[in-house]
Amino acid sequence: MTLMTMVLKMAEGLEKTCAIFFLTLLFSIPLGMIVALLRGSRFKPISWLAKVYISVLRGTPLMLQLIAVTYGPYYLFGISVSRNKLIPVVIAFAINYAAYFAEIYRSGIESMPVGQYEAAQVLGYSGPQTFMKIILPQVIRRILPSMTNEIVTLVKDTSMAFTVSYQEMFTIGKQIANSQTSFIPFIVAGVFYYVFNVIVGFVMGRVEKAMSYYQM
Amino acid sequence: MKKVLALVLALLMAALMFGLTGCGSKTSTDVTTAAPDAPTEAAKTTFTMGIDPEYPPFSYLGDDGEYTGFDVEVCKAVCEKLGWEFKVFGVNWDEKLVQLDAGECDCVWSGMTILDSMKEAGYVISAPYFDNEQVLLVKDDSPYQSSKDLAGKEVAVQLGTSGESLLNEDLKDLADTFGNVVTCDSFLKCFTELAGNAVDAVFVDKPVAADYVAKNEGYRIIDEDLGAEQYGIAFRSADADLCAQVEAAVAALVADGTYAKIAEKYPDIVANLLYLK
Repeated sequence: MTLMTMVLKMAEGLEKTCAIFFLTLLFSIPLGMIVALLRGSRFKPISWLAKVYISVLRGTPLMLQLIAVTYGPYYLFGISVSRNKLIPVVIAFAINYAAYFAEIYRSGIESMPVGQYEAAQVLGYSGPQTFMKIILPQVIRRILPSMTNEIVTLVKDTSMAFTVSYQEMFTIGKQIANSQTSFIPFIVAGVFYYVFNVIVGFVMGRVEKAMSYYQM
Repeated sequence: MKKVLALVLALLMAALMFGLTGCGSKTSTDVTTAAPDAPTEAAKTTFTMGIDPEYPPFSYLGDDGEYTGFDVEVCKAVCEKLGWEFKVFGVNWDEKLVQLDAGECDCVWSGMTILDSMKEAGYVISAPYFDNEQVLLVKDDSPYQSSKDLAGKEVAVQLGTSGESLLNEDLKDLADTFGNVVTCDSFLKCFTELAGNAVDAVFVDKPVAADYVAKNEGYRIIDEDLGAEQYGIAFRSADADLCAQVEAAVAALVADGTYAKIAEKYPDIVANLLYLK
């Protein structure tokens, strides 16, 4: 097998890796916000539930969650395992990353000085208005570096989908490495992940710049 | 509040340290008392067998939490015969030969198919001890009667097994008729995929399939031999002597009937054991 065939074959899997990546972001970013807001709720049972959610999802390995989401329904209730593995994989990734994002959002929200809320109140802003128009834009700006960190980790974590036999790029790399007794697929995989993350870093850098309108 | 927390933490750490040192001193006394009683113990060689821990009936985690299976029991008997200390090491099947070279184990002995590529790479391979076939395992109530019926269907196989290489090489034409070949990191996962209807068939070594059919209801093997091959034991290229020693010990076990006795416990594989033919 030539290097070119290897790269092309793995690039096919890259499509599935990207599917996990983008769908996970699509669902976990809003879900994380919901969890963060629930955690900040003044109604104790709700805030407590959100805390338990974060604690469990952060406190157990993603690999375990992947297996639980994919095979759990079959073992517990006899429900068929999904043929389209992307569904359980994205569910597992999204609920896991939402827990991390929720904590990042909280750190951003809690870092806002109380004075801003007071000033907004004096100016006649309602609670939701204060949050959407004054607090949230600043929070987003502040948490971007931590978000980049988490998103970069997500790129690398996609390789874990192998545990539930989802044929993403790294799985295909392992198959080639195995049939060709070659180490090259691992190097190719490393390059793929690195380039992916350089792009993520670049895009996030651009976003940070675009959002820096509060800077003097 | 803070003080209470600090106290709890301190207590916890103290308990931990005590536990650790407790264990430590216990083992050290064990060693010192054991040494003078059995001076030969130190000279005893350790023999570490590399297995796929999820490969019943050849090697798997038994009900008592210890590794067992036909290969494991034979190896244990070999070690007893030669006076070696027996150890088991679970390898990552698709990296087994790298792990063998790295010295993590002294042999790979776990229903391993002898491949020409292994001999070409210089590994010392024992004489074959088992005739294997590759078969398709399907659900009992499924309509599939031959490999042709699986055209367009999903078939699972374990990564790094001879079945996987067969589908990539000699059986490429057949594999191309399948809708999709799903690679899992263990056969048990392949079987879970089948049980949960995520795939339609599993391409697997016959004894493993037979063992699964015997232990689980609702499955059958498609009666079609898709690839004949043989199992052997792999050693590092420098370990030809070790291989000869193990082979001699196995021959002795065959002669004194121990081998047959072990095989009796695994009725599904007896017919294909070359030493008993």
